Amino acid sequence: MIKLIEKIEGEAKLNFSFEKGLIDFVEIEFLSTRNIEKILQNKNALDALVITPRVCGICNHAHLMASVQALESCYEELELSNRAKITRELTLNFEIIHNHFKWFYLTIMPLMGYKQYLLKATQPSQLMAKAIATIAGQYPHTSYSIVGGVVSDIGMMDLIKVENYIDKTLKFFEQNLVYAKSDEFLECNNSNKLLSKEGDLPNLVNKIKDNGWSNVGKSYDRFIAFGENSYFKKGKSIKTRLTTNIYIDKVQEASNINSYAKNVLYKERYYEVGPLSRAMINKTPLIKDSHRKYGDSILSRILARVCEIPQLLNHSKKLIKQLDLSEPSYIKPKIDISDITALGSSAIEASRGTLIHKVNIKNGIIQKYDIITPTQWNLANGTKESLGVSQKAMIGLENTQLAELSFKSFDVCSVCTTH
Amino acid sequence: MLSKKLKILWLTAITCNGNTHSFLNYPHLDIFMDTFEFIYHPSIDSAYTLNDIINKEIACDILIIEGSISTEYIKADAPIVDIINKYASKVQKIVTVGTCASFGGMFRESDYKDTTGLHFDKERPTSLFEHIKEKTISLSGCPVHPDIIANTLYSIEKKRAIELDSLLRPKEFFAYTVHNGCTRNEYFEYKIDNHQFGKKEGCMFYDHGCHAPYTHGSCNKILWNEVNSKTRAGLSCMGCTEPTFPKGDFFHTKKNMGIPQYLPFGVAKRTYLTLAGITKAFHIKRLEEDLFDD
Ligand code: SF4
Ligand code: SF4
Repeated sequence: MIKLIEKIEGEAKLNFSFEKGLIDFVEIEFLSTRNIEKILQNKNALDALVITPRVCGICNHAHLMASVQALESCYEELELSNRAKITRELTLNFEIIHNHFKWFYLTIMPLMGYKQYLLKATQPSQLMAKAIATIAGQYPHTSYSIVGGVVSDIGMMDLIKVENYIDKTLKFFEQNLVYAKSDEFLECNNSNKLLSKEGDLPNLVNKIKDNGWSNVGKSYDRFIAFGENSYFKKGKSIKTRLTTNIYIDKVQEASNINSYAKNVLYKERYYEVGPLSRAMINKTPLIKDSHRKYGDSILSRILARVCEIPQLLNHSKKLIKQLDLSEPSYIKPKIDISDITALGSSAIEASRGTLIHKVNIKNGIIQKYDIITPTQWNLANGTKESLGVSQKAMIGLENTQLAELSFKSFDVCSVCTTH
Repeated sequence: MLSKKLKILWLTAITCNGNTHSFLNYPHLDIFMDTFEFIYHPSIDSAYTLNDIINKEIACDILIIEGSISTEYIKADAPIVDIINKYASKVQKIVTVGTCASFGGMFRESDYKDTTGLHFDKERPTSLFEHIKEKTISLSGCPVHPDIIANTLYSIEKKRAIELDSLLRPKEFFAYTVHNGCTRNEYFEYKIDNHQFGKKEGCMFYDHGCHAPYTHGSCNKILWNEVNSKTRAGLSCMGCTEPTFPKGDFFHTKKNMGIPQYLPFGVAKRTYLTLAGITKAFHIKRLEEDLFDD
């Protein structure tokens, strides 16, 4: 039975086979490809900063950040101010937050039978877009982060504006998602306590529990995150066993007969990426508690994603306090990129998980560019013997509605997958 | 009540969905949704599925197309060209959103055969959809500004005539250059050519590839996300509303014997040289110093 999954920044096909009334295999097929990697070939290295954001309308900023860091890694020596680093982290946080609101209100709520609250998605996500635009000129599709720093020289008044957008977004969270002070929410380490509150998040999660779906969507219980910054940690966690030594060169991309998307594995095993993985690696108390009770289910995934909203808002407020506007935003690299021949790579945490860019430049011209997106990790189309993460999450379910919910709990993005 | 709303089909082809997300930044979506209804949209809930759109006869007033088009591109098992033709014949207006759908844009270079915009391959007119050309309005931009989408749709709804340029773009948005309204204009005017990235001061035209003086658009007039623009923030304009986008070499001004390869619209080389000669003759201390210097 083939089901067309729509409104995931494009479409995908799920081809289910059933055995004794339960799903026993599902094939994931993405239906198009745009060849961004090929478009990048033979272009000036810096043009990647304009081209790669066009991989995706919803996580364009993450591609910009991955791209600039991959290019910077081509330098043996490059000076970056703290100001530039913090500014980049801020705008990427805002994109992640903007995405999570959209996912919760546009995708997950309607799947659980609620009406789609368009404005609840757009009000806070617009605030976050404004915060990015104040710093970076516009959202989506800015290229304000360049090799050597950021182009903008914002002032104290701009920062005040950004702080107000953050506060307004926090207020939205407290008045809609969970009726509680966000500090209280952040300190909470008991998911049952959270679920006893009112608000769109507890209401939705309780509905999952009432339907008896708390264990739906479990996969390998293996998590990985490569992006590291002042908030996210790098590492992998198998169940709760955490290792921090992981290496990008052990990440493999394997092509896939039935789909345009390539599968991604780490040391020949599939891992989940995204907010739940990050929370497991960061050991976020609330999510660890949910994981203890409900495992790597849709319930934990939803909690983990929404939980990142107040976490990153609060962390961004702290980051703003550390910004020293007397530092330069940009320090011109000593060597022009047209004199650089090197291999570079980067890994950052995007809304949906680890995003990797790899570049090979010769005298400043791109020879080869490789992009590994979060959705490729989660939605790998494996075989019956070796299932991808989301495939495994769908096996054993009794109907395609539940399968779609499990599938979309990974915040699937078709355009990312089909770059 | 419902049936009174103008019905829109938002169809995506070879795209990044940037216009979809740009549109979600429209600040007055609440009232917008009182007037319009999406029979299909890439992320807003709609009464119909993609399969309904393709297989059933559904009433529609406006067709929005996002993304570049190729005869090879298949959407939900149907060629995109067939879906476009099916709806194009019944709607009042067709609106291409984004530079991809208008001129081919970024994904003109994708691997699909003959990927172009709906009526143009860069600026060259194409013939595949000639029969529906009189219905089309092109809203270029990578992505297009949400106000431009919404206000164009409102003018269709209000049956007001929209004046278009030769590339089918509404003049009210595209007769300006992106340079109009940039906070860096003074540095441009007096040819202060020592711009450095990361500074409030300076103009990116002379060294850092700013395309704004030869790019049609309203980015510095209506502002992005209601607050800013790329050039105000210190980023060169990439010329994303033009059929030539992406030109490449975005952060660097190509010059021949010191003269930028691309000059502001309508400015002849001689005129540019004369002006440049005059500006060399004087110094304006205020513009050579940092803005906050005493
Ligand atoms: S014009 Fe730009 S924003 Fe629009 S679909 Fe194409 S690449 Fe994306
Ligand atoms: S930076 Fe660009 S838009 Fe601004 S004044 Fe200079 S040329 Fe014009």
